[in-house]
Amino acid sequence: MARRLRASALLVYTILVFVFLFAPIALVVLFSFNKTASLTFPFHGFSLRWYRAVLESPSYRDAIFASLRVAVISVVVVVVVGTAAGIGVTRYAFRGSRIVRVFLFFPAALPGLFVGIALLSFFVQTQVSLSLWTVTAGHLIYVLPYFFLVVTSRLQRFDYMLEEAARDLGAGPWATFRRVTLPLIAPSLIAGALVVFSLSWDEVFITFFTIGAQNTLPLVIYSTVKQSVDPSVNAISTLLLAGSLVFVFSVRRLAADLQQ
Amino acid sequence: MTTTAAATGRLQPFNVGVARRRRIAIALLVGPALLVVGGALVVPAANLLVQSFIESSGYGQVTYHFTFSNYTDVLQDPTYRRIAWHSFGLGALAALICVVAGYPAAYFITFRLRRARNIALFLVVVSLFTSYLVRLYAWYTILGTQGIINTGLVRLGVVEHPLLFLIFSRTAVVIAFVNVFLPYSILMLTSSMQNIRADLLENARDLGAGPVRTFSRVVLPLSMTGAIGAFAYTFILTSGDYITPSLLGGTSSTSLASIVSDEFLALGNRPSGAAISFVMLTIFFAVYLGLTRLERWKGI
Repeated sequence: MARRLRASALLVYTILVFVFLFAPIALVVLFSFNKTASLTFPFHGFSLRWYRAVLESPSYRDAIFASLRVAVISVVVVVVVGTAAGIGVTRYAFRGSRIVRVFLFFPAALPGLFVGIALLSFFVQTQVSLSLWTVTAGHLIYVLPYFFLVVTSRLQRFDYMLEEAARDLGAGPWATFRRVTLPLIAPSLIAGALVVFSLSWDEVFITFFTIGAQNTLPLVIYSTVKQSVDPSVNAISTLLLAGSLVFVFSVRRLAADLQQ
Repeated sequence: MTTTAAATGRLQPFNVGVARRRRIAIALLVGPALLVVGGALVVPAANLLVQSFIESSGYGQVTYHFTFSNYTDVLQDPTYRRIAWHSFGLGALAALICVVAGYPAAYFITFRLRRARNIALFLVVVSLFTSYLVRLYAWYTILGTQGIINTGLVRLGVVEHPLLFLIFSRTAVVIAFVNVFLPYSILMLTSSMQNIRADLLENARDLGAGPVRTFSRVVLPLSMTGAIGAFAYTFILTSGDYITPSLLGGTSSTSLASIVSDEFLALGNRPSGAAISFVMLTIFFAVYLGLTRLERWKGI
């Protein structure tokens, strides 16, 4: 009896934890469809007026494109560079390969504040003007460790004898990679790329310091909220949320890779 | 003898060629990633370290004169010290709440759920990935004077005027911190609890241990790694945060991180800002190492 009571108390508690985690976000999404400017109940009915307001506002529109640009460039660079490094440390057990691994994971242990400050001070001194490129540099540092983790945990299980077999059959290094290695590791690369996109899309800490005149989506929300309450922030937040959940499509693949 | 010499004589150039090709391949594969981390992190961080040892001379200006004064100034300044304690206090409180509040949920997910366990964990991961800023904004609207809590209370007649202390306060900051970092705690705790065999709990019960004793003598010690990891992680990320205090803390909670950013952006004093950053980083690493040592020392 007491045991059953405890079990149901735990169940109720866990449900409350999930409510606490998700209710605030649910409210933002709900009120992004509100007919009136009110941010509280009663809900006055559905409308898309705040989404229209977002799409008609040049500063929001530009921020969406800026965030997309930074995220896509980060994804492309990190996938190429990170995959190559992952193959390098797993295919060859060279001296120093452990150090290389630690070195590439290490940035994940640093607070965003430190990375942002280091970059800002460096850019100011070298007179690099702050722009979306400086933002991208910060994002690369932030996302590379995560992608590297995903790709090395997949490659750890990759049988490099397959490559040797292909080479023995006369395939060159590039053909071997494109025809043998790449198709086998592609699902993990895509999963890693989606995670990178989500992380970059949502990044504020490093971006805050490396941003130039053009705001990214999170920063435009930040500066709008700092000034006034504008109901269209609900709509733009919902768009930000949608982008940050892109990674969801990769969850199964990631779980399989990281559990090995 | 002669045959081996002939053999090595023939093989050596071949081996050298293979070894060189191997080295080139490694360099080409690993090099670009090292360049990214080197160029975008190591060089700027080294530069920041140099900055922390030179003199500031007016807004954005520096004189290349070696000095320790940035560090001594920072460490002796009572205002900085007060704000540092404040930031670390908030971080420690948020981290403690996250670990304590995460335990029952992690316990339930690990030991009471079977088929639903993966769904529950999936939901935790989703909440971990949902935009940081959107969650802060959500609390901003919930706790605000026109927010759900205040309008609700006024309408119900509990209070006459909206409660002003809900938003722009330390409470608001801690609530948001817990909301953001609780999923990390739950994940770290469940992953360390997964190594506890369920029959161990049954054994404890069979030997007459009540639920409290089973928890404190079996579950707690065996999941200590997760608890310490979750605490350290939350503590470091929350006490180094400036976005949350600046959105929800109002003037009441100036954060350590906002001082750093002020030194750089408002005061243009790079050496001082650099020194504070390194002091902060050192404290974070000390806390992290201290906590992991503590765990080993306790022999768990």
